[in-house]
Amino acid sequence: MARLPFIRLLALALRQLLRDARAGELRVLFFALLVAVAASTAIGYFGARLNGAMLLRATEFLGADLVLQGSSPAQPEQIAKGTAAGLVHAQVVEFSSVIATDNGIQLSSIKAADSAYPLRGALRSAAEPYASETSGGGPAPGEAWVEPRLLAALDLKIGDSIDVGMKTVRLSRVLTYEPDRAGNFYSLTPRVLINLADLEATGVVQPGSRVTYRDLWRGEPDALASYRDSVSTHLAPNQRLQDSRDGNRQIGGALGKAERYLNMASLVAVLLAGVAVALSASRFATRRFDASALLRCLGLSRRQALGLFCLQLAILGSLAALGGALLGWLAQLGLFKLLQGLMPTQIPAGGLAPALAGIATGLVALAGFALPPLAALGRVPPLRVLRRDLLPVPPSSWLVYGAALLALGLIMWRLSLDLLLTFALLGGGLVAAVLLGGLLLLGLRSLRRLLAGSPLAWRLGLGQLLRHPLAAAGQSLAFGLILLAMALIALLRAELLDTWQNQLPKDAPNYFALNILPDDKNTFAERLNEFSAEAAPLYPVIPGRLTEINGQAVQQIVSKESTGDRAVQRDLSLTWAADLPQGNALTEGQWWLREPAADTHLPGVSVETELAQSLKLKLGDQLTFSIGGEQRKAVVSSLRTVNWDSFQPNFYMIFQPGTLQGLPTTYLTSFFLAPGHDQQVVALSRAFPAVTLLQVDALLAQLRSILAQVTLAVEYVLLFVLAAGLAVLFAGLQATLDERIRQGALLRALGAGRSLLIKARRIEFGLLGAASGLLAAIGCELITLLLYRYAFDLSWSPHPWLLLLPVIGALLIGGAGVFGTRRALNASPLKVLRES
Amino acid sequence: MGPSILSARNLSKVVPSAEGDLTILHELSLELKQGDSLAIVGASGSGKSTLLGLLAGLDLPSAGSVTLSGHDLGQLDEDQRARIRAEHVGFVFQSFQLLDSLNALENVMLPLELDGRRDAREHARSLLERVGLGQRLSHSPRQLSGGEQQRVAIARAFAAEPAVLFADEPTGNLDSHTGERISDLLFDLNKERGTTLVLVTHDERLAQRCRRLIRLDAGHLVAPLEP
Repeated sequence: MARLPFIRLLALALRQLLRDARAGELRVLFFALLVAVAASTAIGYFGARLNGAMLLRATEFLGADLVLQGSSPAQPEQIAKGTAAGLVHAQVVEFSSVIATDNGIQLSSIKAADSAYPLRGALRSAAEPYASETSGGGPAPGEAWVEPRLLAALDLKIGDSIDVGMKTVRLSRVLTYEPDRAGNFYSLTPRVLINLADLEATGVVQPGSRVTYRDLWRGEPDALASYRDSVSTHLAPNQRLQDSRDGNRQIGGALGKAERYLNMASLVAVLLAGVAVALSASRFATRRFDASALLRCLGLSRRQALGLFCLQLAILGSLAALGGALLGWLAQLGLFKLLQGLMPTQIPAGGLAPALAGIATGLVALAGFALPPLAALGRVPPLRVLRRDLLPVPPSSWLVYGAALLALGLIMWRLSLDLLLTFALLGGGLVAAVLLGGLLLLGLRSLRRLLAGSPLAWRLGLGQLLRHPLAAAGQSLAFGLILLAMALIALLRAELLDTWQNQLPKDAPNYFALNILPDDKNTFAERLNEFSAEAAPLYPVIPGRLTEINGQAVQQIVSKESTGDRAVQRDLSLTWAADLPQGNALTEGQWWLREPAADTHLPGVSVETELAQSLKLKLGDQLTFSIGGEQRKAVVSSLRTVNWDSFQPNFYMIFQPGTLQGLPTTYLTSFFLAPGHDQQVVALSRAFPAVTLLQVDALLAQLRSILAQVTLAVEYVLLFVLAAGLAVLFAGLQATLDERIRQGALLRALGAGRSLLIKARRIEFGLLGAASGLLAAIGCELITLLLYRYAFDLSWSPHPWLLLLPVIGALLIGGAGVFGTRRALNASPLKVLRES
Repeated sequence: MGPSILSARNLSKVVPSAEGDLTILHELSLELKQGDSLAIVGASGSGKSTLLGLLAGLDLPSAGSVTLSGHDLGQLDEDQRARIRAEHVGFVFQSFQLLDSLNALENVMLPLELDGRRDAREHARSLLERVGLGQRLSHSPRQLSGGEQQRVAIARAFAAEPAVLFADEPTGNLDSHTGERISDLLFDLNKERGTTLVLVTHDERLAQRCRRLIRLDAGHLVAPLEP
């Protein structure tokens, strides 16, 4: 035979594949891959689209996808670029102004917005304070929408008129919700929303006045990205860009965890895929030993024979991957259809990426798990045509497991982009597999002795396991992996949700009180205690600006658009504290024990970790602050993380007590007020007119609704993993079906009744399931220990309910096993024996 | 009779076993000319199949050499031997060795397709017609009786027009009547196509139809039949 060119080998592989497909041999492998790719594609789409939807939700906090903010109006070309990119534009101007009436004066935060505002989310308003609210719309020219607090403070009612600068506007509605208000609630005074058309008439905005201009943009991600790129390099020093990611820390935290969780679920699906592919590929290989030997006899070289089978699998894999991706895409469409009422109306389509990732995942899994058993086909000795007992030299187990692990690691790494998580999963899985596999093997071998005198059904059932203890251990490991994956997902879901819920307890602070004067501090605290038991301590607040780090001006150190940049652009709220506040944790350095001695060097300051990273701060750096016109120096004595999700007052910079004395100080606190007690807030604000009371219910409600969606997503993803796991379980059973049919037929031919066979099968799979469950329980604890500690930042404690897994495993795998192999019970013994 | 096509010189095969090395074949020599036919007979375990494997280049001897169509098989690596098999050798097995996933026609087409022959289908069809299975082309091996399966295997073996056909117990799995018809077919084709035939068999009647016969006993040649 001449050399076999690739194209002919390919054509041959294709023909063989078609013939094999017709014969039904490859269906299991195809099915396993199809399910695996479908599951990981669906989860990928689900995750990506949900993420998109949640991001969209998060854009509400900005009122837009992208915001260009500055203390002077945007340059005309900056606006022109956005319009040219096809983005929708809205304009907002914010400034502070005093609203004066006969009843008093109130510093207010005026927002003048055009009719396009907001671009994401909607305003909500009511006809009267505490009346039912409606969504949408905005104030017409000549009108103002105001927060109820302003009405209470100035004893106004809807229909009255107020002067904003030189313009008189009529109060037409009560403003109850501004989507973009929530993200920035620290320095707020009551809101007065007017139409942008009235701005000029107010005469407030003059050159030099403190005004914030916000240009809001909405559009397709690509257009936004290109706009962002074109504008960001030419930003004026007083301008910056914001998008939903940096728009809100609370959402960011919840999203980050949801993303990790969804990625975890994808990893699990991939793991299951690997198991299924490994099972069916090794069956594919074993069943082709004869064909391989024959082809070698017919003159194919080792490489050609191997190439032929590899090509067959590659073609099959590509087809299955494409079909699986399509199926996965359809599945998530159905899922979103089901969830229609619960989801935000606009869900981004998700693009091609999840489908491509699903396909790539399937192919890499195929390569990693199928190639090692396939490699054996290249080593089948041609002499096998004469002597059937000749088997190929088994591949080195390093090759088998190395390739599989490499493929898995690669996929995991790509999916999660989190090496820690990947290593925790891979390492935990590997250690668990080796340890437990060994234990299981020992257990099976000792069972052999125990069972010599047991009833026939037991000996038959166990015989199946004991005949190939290594295979039984492997199978048990595979099923164990499935149970482990499911348990892990269930466990993490419960754990994450609990943590989120605990972070946001029902009585999370829903009011912030700012600008409490030192003289009012004690009386305010007393009044507060009368109606709210859940008040945070009163923290002193001193506005101050960071000017120098180790004697160098900060502007030269920070990069544009970074956290540090934003922090040095404005006054920071500085505070001092004797104790580390709740929800804070030190990462470096030490918390101070007492006030600094009067004669020693500089006072210490504790800096929030992320800000410190952005400012490139390390312990011992000397910081200079400009506070009320004075220069104060301090030394970085510790770094700490802050739980921004907690709704407690949080601070970037905390000074050592006794170091900021003599500077103008106000106090800040947060407290919880049950719904329906709004009159008390009004009373409180009347008693302390200087104090700004800020309601964050709206933000909390938004956050809760996002958490509810995440919860739902998590539950559906769990369903998907469950389905994938079951499918893989059946694929695994299919792999042993031929032998079972033959054996079952033989036993029936020898006179065994159906009931005996069923009983034996139940015993076999029940035991297998129980062993798998035990493995899963132990493995699950091992992995969660690593995951909690290193990936999710949760505290770990044992989970006794995992001991149910052996029972669940016995029932699930026992049931599925008997069901999946029912063909072996129903086939006619005569026919089966003839065929074999 | 034509020139020498297959020769063995001092062929020995030793395999390691629990009780030390086990000699399966003892210094065996033979020579076959083109168109010749040779039967290898002997009791089970006498080394018949081992000898067949060595002669066909499926295995390598511990000592001695095999020359097939002028090629010293001992000097070739496995892939080179595979090429020799593809070009010069055909096989018929006791267990037929048909691929279950392929139908009768496709099984016969296989070696032709491997060779890239465009007329694979027509050629295979005519061979199946020649062995009397023209009506069973699309049947899968499972749907065929043992005799029919062996006829497919014979059609496949002759498809590539081999110089030497090795047959391992070609009638071993068949009843005597069917076995008789299979051996008729084998010898008819052998004659038609001038193929050299080497067969291992228990079947004395089949063995007697060969021009030459050797008997093996525990790896020793006990009854060489000179031409």
